Amino acid sequence: MADPTPTTTSAAPTDDPHGIRKDLDSPGQLVVVFLAVVGLALVNIFLSKSIGPTRYTLPLQLAIGSVQAGLVAYHFMHLKQGDRVVILTALSSLFWMGILFVLFLSDYMTRQYVIG
Amino acid sequence: MSIAVTHGGLTAAPVPPEPEPAKVDYLNNGHSIWSWLFTVDHKRIGILYLISISVFFVAGGTAAGIVRLNLLSSSGFIVDEDAYNRAFTAHGVMMLFFFLIPAVPAVFGNFFIPMMIGTKDLAFPKLNIASWYVFMIGAAFAIWSVLAGGIDTGWTLYPPYSTRASQSYVIPGVVGAFISGFSSIMTGLNIMVTVHKMRAPGMTWSRLPLFVWSLYATSLIQLLATPVVAITLVLIAVERAWGVGIFDPALGGDPVLFQHMFWFYSHPAVYIMILPGMGVISEVLTCFSRKNVFGYHAVAWSSVGIAVVGFLLWAHHMFVAGISFYAALLFSLLSMLVAVPSAIKVFNWTATLYRGSITFQAPMLFSLGFVVLFIIGGLTGLYLATLGTDIHLHDTYFVVAHFHFVMVGGMVMGYFAGLHYWWPKMTGRMYSDWWSRVAASIIIVGFFFTFIPQFIMGYHGMPRRYPNYPDEFQFLNVMSTAGASILGIGYLMPAVYLTLSLFFGQKSPANPWSATGLEWASPSPPTVHNFDSTPVVVCGPYEYAIGVDQMGRGLPEPPGPGGAEGPHGKVGPTGPAGPMQKETHVVG
Repeated sequence: MADPTPTTTSAAPTDDPHGIRKDLDSPGQLVVVFLAVVGLALVNIFLSKSIGPTRYTLPLQLAIGSVQAGLVAYHFMHLKQGDRVVILTALSSLFWMGILFVLFLSDYMTRQYVIG
Repeated sequence: MSIAVTHGGLTAAPVPPEPEPAKVDYLNNGHSIWSWLFTVDHKRIGILYLISISVFFVAGGTAAGIVRLNLLSSSGFIVDEDAYNRAFTAHGVMMLFFFLIPAVPAVFGNFFIPMMIGTKDLAFPKLNIASWYVFMIGAAFAIWSVLAGGIDTGWTLYPPYSTRASQSYVIPGVVGAFISGFSSIMTGLNIMVTVHKMRAPGMTWSRLPLFVWSLYATSLIQLLATPVVAITLVLIAVERAWGVGIFDPALGGDPVLFQHMFWFYSHPAVYIMILPGMGVISEVLTCFSRKNVFGYHAVAWSSVGIAVVGFLLWAHHMFVAGISFYAALLFSLLSMLVAVPSAIKVFNWTATLYRGSITFQAPMLFSLGFVVLFIIGGLTGLYLATLGTDIHLHDTYFVVAHFHFVMVGGMVMGYFAGLHYWWPKMTGRMYSDWWSRVAASIIIVGFFFTFIPQFIMGYHGMPRRYPNYPDEFQFLNVMSTAGASILGIGYLMPAVYLTLSLFFGQKSPANPWSATGLEWASPSPPTVHNFDSTPVVVCGPYEYAIGVDQMGRGLPEPPGPGGAEGPHGKVGPTGPAGPMQKETHVVG
């Protein structure tokens, strides 16, 4: 005689079957990241106004901008939760940006050299 | 896989029964206008795009007709110089941004990518319909600029003329192109995610149809390049509207910077246009040759190769714009590189045709036209990539002819090949075989008459975009305009017989071409969700030699002139017992 006891013992239904939501930032964390991005923007503005263009301020400001972009990509664009394909895709955009700038510069940095 | 191996060798897999026509298909699932305007069905969205771009094809073609008619006379035949400038700009903007770019990805990509990979829709159906609305909003701005008087800058919008001096409606046109770019990004994103995430069981990357590979590569370009031109167009509008110095030297800007940013998108954009056409050709040539495609992996990866290398060579458009000599040398060298993956495709297509059981239905005629015209267009591109010869040929009709050989001879032929190949699946109706063959032949002949004279004129120095010319060029210009008339008739013919087929055409079976792809497993026209059950893929995409589709089922009899004895008078069905027997032994 068949056992009338139900054999399915699966967990309760969930709307997060892949467990993605547990890695999501809390609203508090997102506010902190947002404030950090805004703060870094203010630092950049301060550097521009108080020091101005020097040999070191431009690389410093670009570095600050890169940190800002990284924070936005990691938290707001959810790279934090991304699998390897997503991260590879994100990094490939840097590669393409590299193409843009390197080949741009191949023109602008060699304009002064004249043949003959 | 249902191919039986016996002591006597391979035997044909059984041919499945013809699927019952669906009671509810995607066409009769709602007849109201709202059922179309609010649809999220990828097939209906593909049809919406088809109707939209057809309107732009006619409008852009009309503008081309004005240009060609005006050039009948050396001093301008029908319009003045200013109107001439606006006509060729309207032709360029409408054909490029509103026909060529969306043609295959948005029409056939939307319609067939889910069916070819065995799923019921694209990954983001609502984003899909949103992309059509965004496209139409962009189109509305473009139409506004044309109706208000047009743009006279050329489709390239070079500053400082476009930002400082032009008295035409630059900003609406720029806004239209900017907005439609987002539609392109949405479509590319949708296709890329769908291909990654929604393939049917067994549909590995090595079993993807080459059309899917080509649209995947196209999506890569759409996603990575379109944002650059979007910001460039915004900068044009900002400089023109508020006088902010970005590109205008009088305001401290750099016009060459615009050209760099514009061509960083617009050169890869020609691969957005041609790569999908190449995908169509890969499908059609192998089907109508009844042979497995030659060099599947080479053709697939050459699409990705074109997409990547296409980003490295934009400045060959700028050899005479004042870029540095060393950069010009570098870009000249890099421009040669793209010939490699392009040639890989052509060689593999040719090898696919070799010893094939070729039949010449309209899709095949258009595809053969594509191959021939693309070879000419591609080889003449080498002259323009070569620094020395480009100095002579730059901004002449040689460039116009080269570009049209690739874009019209290539992409538009590919578009028509795809339209004729998939029309029975999309509509459930067969069109006139005879008239379609006649139309394909007329288009090919008209094309040669239109554009070969332009090569000669360009080589002898006739500049592009000039309404006036020395009398010695009149004969060639008249020949070109006569060819354009033939071409125009050729393009009108499909509009007639395809429309008539909707009302009077024979009902199409599910697989009228005896093709192997999953899209042919669904009835014609397809059901709402494409498949009654998720297909399981067990074969590569082009198993014509052993005569099975991607689910390992036998193929129906292919079309052909063979009458009762089958195509070409060879007895037996397609497959190892049929006419491909010799190829089965050769290919193994």
